[in-house]
Amino acid sequence: MKVLSSIACNLDTDLLSAAFPLLEEERVEAIEWSFDALFHVGQIPPWFWELLTAYSKGGRLIGHGIFFSLFSGKWLPGQDDWLRKLKQTSTDLPFDHITEHFGFMTGKDFHQGAPLNIPYSQLTLEIGRDRLKRIYEACRCPVGLENLAFSYSPEEVRKHGEFLERLIEPVNGFIILDLHNLYCQIRNFSIGFEELIALYPLDRVREIHLSGGSWEDSQIDAGRKVRRDTHDESVPREVFDYLEIALRQCPNLKYVVLEQLGTALTTAESRRFFYDDFLTMSGIVEAANGSARLPDGSSNRCNSFLPLCPITPGEIIEDEILYEQQLQLSGILETAASYEEALGLLRQSSLSHSDWEIESWEPAMLETAMKIAQKWREGWINGKGQ
Amino acid sequence: MKLSKSLLSAILIGIVVQSLPACKKEKETPKTNKENKGQETPAPSEPCPGCGMG
Repeated sequence: MKVLSSIACNLDTDLLSAAFPLLEEERVEAIEWSFDALFHVGQIPPWFWELLTAYSKGGRLIGHGIFFSLFSGKWLPGQDDWLRKLKQTSTDLPFDHITEHFGFMTGKDFHQGAPLNIPYSQLTLEIGRDRLKRIYEACRCPVGLENLAFSYSPEEVRKHGEFLERLIEPVNGFIILDLHNLYCQIRNFSIGFEELIALYPLDRVREIHLSGGSWEDSQIDAGRKVRRDTHDESVPREVFDYLEIALRQCPNLKYVVLEQLGTALTTAESRRFFYDDFLTMSGIVEAANGSARLPDGSSNRCNSFLPLCPITPGEIIEDEILYEQQLQLSGILETAASYEEALGLLRQSSLSHSDWEIESWEPAMLETAMKIAQKWREGWINGKGQ
Repeated sequence: MKLSKSLLSAILIGIVVQSLPACKKEKETPKTNKENKGQETPAPSEPCPGCGMG
């Protein structure tokens, strides 16, 4: 099976303008669409629908959700609505697979906030598994999760891959290995790429993401720079190097996707960089496609990533305490005026000395979580470009 | 993947139309199905965050 060079393609004129030459030159082998970004806006123009249809008919349309809030401790009305719309969209426009983000959404409203990390406990494992079954039931195609860019501590980074593997097990799911997210973890916690990638279930990788990001100076940890997955710059050279290695280690890989925000593609120069990044990516993918990618001499193995037995979600799993803790954390991150205030409030909250392990959170990462939460609390449309 | 010339032309026109300033506020409720086909009202241009929430 050939690995397909793909782009994240959404209804965004700057992004589409940047992608158009690649579409015209027949270089884009698949597209990934964040279907739920349009759940709350107006009509989809017919030409964009036709574009999605063309890739769907070719079996090369993949869906990437943003707003399901997989680990919310409480089942939210917005999640019912999300599943209903996913079911309808998947009927109208069949996807080759559907993915969501890891974490829970901050913010008082379902469509506001940013996905943040959760404790890796038996409770969150059960909630995540329950939600993945419901997503599968709605879309009836392989379901996957993406690795996070953000962590509070190196211990959390090292546990993430195994937790992902346990989450997807009941639905025989897969993971998106976002290489820029790994790059963030590598740079923020001084972990080697080889060491980190070995902690992920690489036989479960069906999709890889590439993107760029930005550096932010920490105020609380002078001299430290925190790497963030902001999707607003070109792909770092190191991330392309990671791709070359990952292509040899992920036997079930099918899609490699270049992502960039339209807000970062407004100039001719930035669009040229996007084009060049795609050519670099597809060159690496083509070279791997042309050879035996794997150490055993084969080019890939075969996992359908469909459930191995019938999926029947039972009663919805909820936990009021977890939900309250999530609300407390969201509130603190979104409203604290300073790092010191956030830390003080956290220590007084029910997250203290709990599965959240806030005592091990690195100060610069708590500060970064505040910046992320405060950037996106008004929703991602208002949060753009800040 | 090869796209038809007519689709590529439609995309190009769509990009240009959507780049123009909106002259009226969108009033439609969300639709993501085939009912939308044939309707020419431009949707607002949306930057999608994808995973770019860092």
